[in-house]
Amino acid sequence: MEEQQKYARLFNDIDSQALITLGVVLLSTIVLIIASQRGLNWIGNRMHGQVRFRIFALVPMTRLLILMTALAIIVPTIIEPSLRNMVTLLGALGLAIGFAMKDYVSSLIAGVVSAVELPYRPGDWVQIEDTYGEVKHVGLRTVDIQTPDDDLVYVPHLKLWDHAVYNANNGGTSLQCVASFYLHPEHEAGWVRKALRDVALTSAYLKFDQPIIVVAEEKPWGTHYRIRAYPVDPRQQFLFITDLTLRGKKVLSAAGVQSAMLPPDAALDTRNAVGSAYSRGND
Amino acid sequence: MGEQSSSADTPLWAVVELDQFRTPEQTQASQWRRSFRSISSWLGGKKDAEQQVKDESELRALPEVRLAHLVPSIDWTPAARALGQQLEGQDAPVTFFITTPYSGHASVVTHWAEKHHVACLAPPTLSEIAEGSTQWVEQCVNQREWAIPALERYFLRHTQGIQGVREFLERALSGRLGKGVIGCDSWTYAFLHRVIGLDGAPVFTLQSMEGEQLARYFAQIATHSGQPPPVYSTRTGKQVLFDSASEQKSKAPNKELQRLAAHCRGHIGLAWHYWRERLREPKADDEEALWLVDALAEAELAVDTGDIATLVLHALLVHGGLDDDSLGEVLPFSHHEALNARLALQRKGIVSSCEGRWQIAPLSYASVRQLLESRNYLVDPL
Repeated sequence: MEEQQKYARLFNDIDSQALITLGVVLLSTIVLIIASQRGLNWIGNRMHGQVRFRIFALVPMTRLLILMTALAIIVPTIIEPSLRNMVTLLGALGLAIGFAMKDYVSSLIAGVVSAVELPYRPGDWVQIEDTYGEVKHVGLRTVDIQTPDDDLVYVPHLKLWDHAVYNANNGGTSLQCVASFYLHPEHEAGWVRKALRDVALTSAYLKFDQPIIVVAEEKPWGTHYRIRAYPVDPRQQFLFITDLTLRGKKVLSAAGVQSAMLPPDAALDTRNAVGSAYSRGND
Repeated sequence: MGEQSSSADTPLWAVVELDQFRTPEQTQASQWRRSFRSISSWLGGKKDAEQQVKDESELRALPEVRLAHLVPSIDWTPAARALGQQLEGQDAPVTFFITTPYSGHASVVTHWAEKHHVACLAPPTLSEIAEGSTQWVEQCVNQREWAIPALERYFLRHTQGIQGVREFLERALSGRLGKGVIGCDSWTYAFLHRVIGLDGAPVFTLQSMEGEQLARYFAQIATHSGQPPPVYSTRTGKQVLFDSASEQKSKAPNKELQRLAAHCRGHIGLAWHYWRERLREPKADDEEALWLVDALAEAELAVDTGDIATLVLHALLVHGGLDDDSLGEVLPFSHHEALNARLALQRKGIVSSCEGRWQIAPLSYASVRQLLESRNYLVDPL
């Protein structure tokens, strides 16, 4: 009996007037949401340039405003808005939201940790899971990474807890680049090593303060050479690798050095290795 | 490199070892001033020159004849003599003499070679360099003593282009080519030092000049036509160059020329160009004094200068100047892009043509060097 009275005090009497009000508000909300979404989409599709995207961005915001307004009208209709009732209601809501938003809070805390430990900062080139790119912004909840394909990826900070962060330049201007060459086994290895070193030494992008290393690795199908060198600016890494690759191919081709003919399974393995290495900026 | 202290008794021409080279006083302050000016131009647009004591509209450029008398070409003979003194007693198979662009390393070495009856070796042809041929090195084997006025003409920055000069330098440094003196642009020296390795070979250069030395030098070269005319600064109104009578009375340090010396890092060749470009005479014929307009206003590079322009500038400096064809060979983009970039730089006055080669204009050298250094490109040691 007491419990029933307690619940009765929480909720208002739902009479016909209240039901009509609820019905009207619900209907209006649905109509307004549909109208605003369709209307804004219609207008946006007829615009061009930046204005178009700004109008599309209004769609979820408008929907949220309408829903919040509807809730602000409905809640006092259903629930007696006394202090005790609001505390009870908000307590229940808080519990539900807490469970739902635990990842959000975890990201916020990870953001604080990242500000102290500095696993990444703006200007760094990092690999987090499958995303490799330049850190553009370190926000409260996410780190914004711009990939070489010009995609902006928002990675939640909570990835920091259980994923490795590969940082290629760690706040500095030195970022090692690797250019690979796959050669037929019949060639003069000493000459190739010297030639590839000259390719690196004569690159316009080369940073002379860092070492140049040519690594040779024998494989069943031939020899895998890698030039490891550093460009003047990390943002030039792709142009640098391209420069090394094109001029290296030209020099080797002019000397009659043939590329390796990889068997299908080796080609697949190499492609997978290069794909993950490319996205990590390393081989 | 530290900054050297000023002394009115310091000789004008001094050849020193590279690690004894010192930039003039206030060189660092000059760089900060230039950076501040670049950033303010970028933020607020290019402003008019600072407040002038003398209005430049009342001045005009000097006639060529008068300019040739007041600012004749630099005579490198004293520098060659100073180099000769340093070379006496040198036992190394190869000795380098390096200077910045416009600072006469080729002329100095040529003068020295003529005086000592040493043969100057001819550089390889462009096709020999491009093919990576080392045949021309064989022709140097028979010389007991030799000189190379300008080593920057012996290579191009690509895999084939460095083969010949590498073979030559390896043989020369090991003593298999007799004894030689090599004149080299300082940027070329920095590049070849990294690429080939020139450790162990003695390197000499001209010591930097302070403001007082510049004042003495400019007064000396103007004296050939009689008494040097007094020269005033349009910026401060103060006298910059004195005739012999007033020089005795003036003991104040020459701030304007010290500012110029710091801006040019003490290199006489660059200072000479500034002096020549900035001298003006009054339009009114009743005034005899000359005026030095804002000596440091120059064709400045924008703070946001792009990568392509930066690479073109660096390539031109490393090679001591290049023609358009060779420029396209040493850059990682098409000839067309290289030509467009060169044209844009030429329009801004950053590059100019000298004997068929594009070089950094002397009045832009300081800002170009500072830009390249700030972006971590390889720079010269001077």
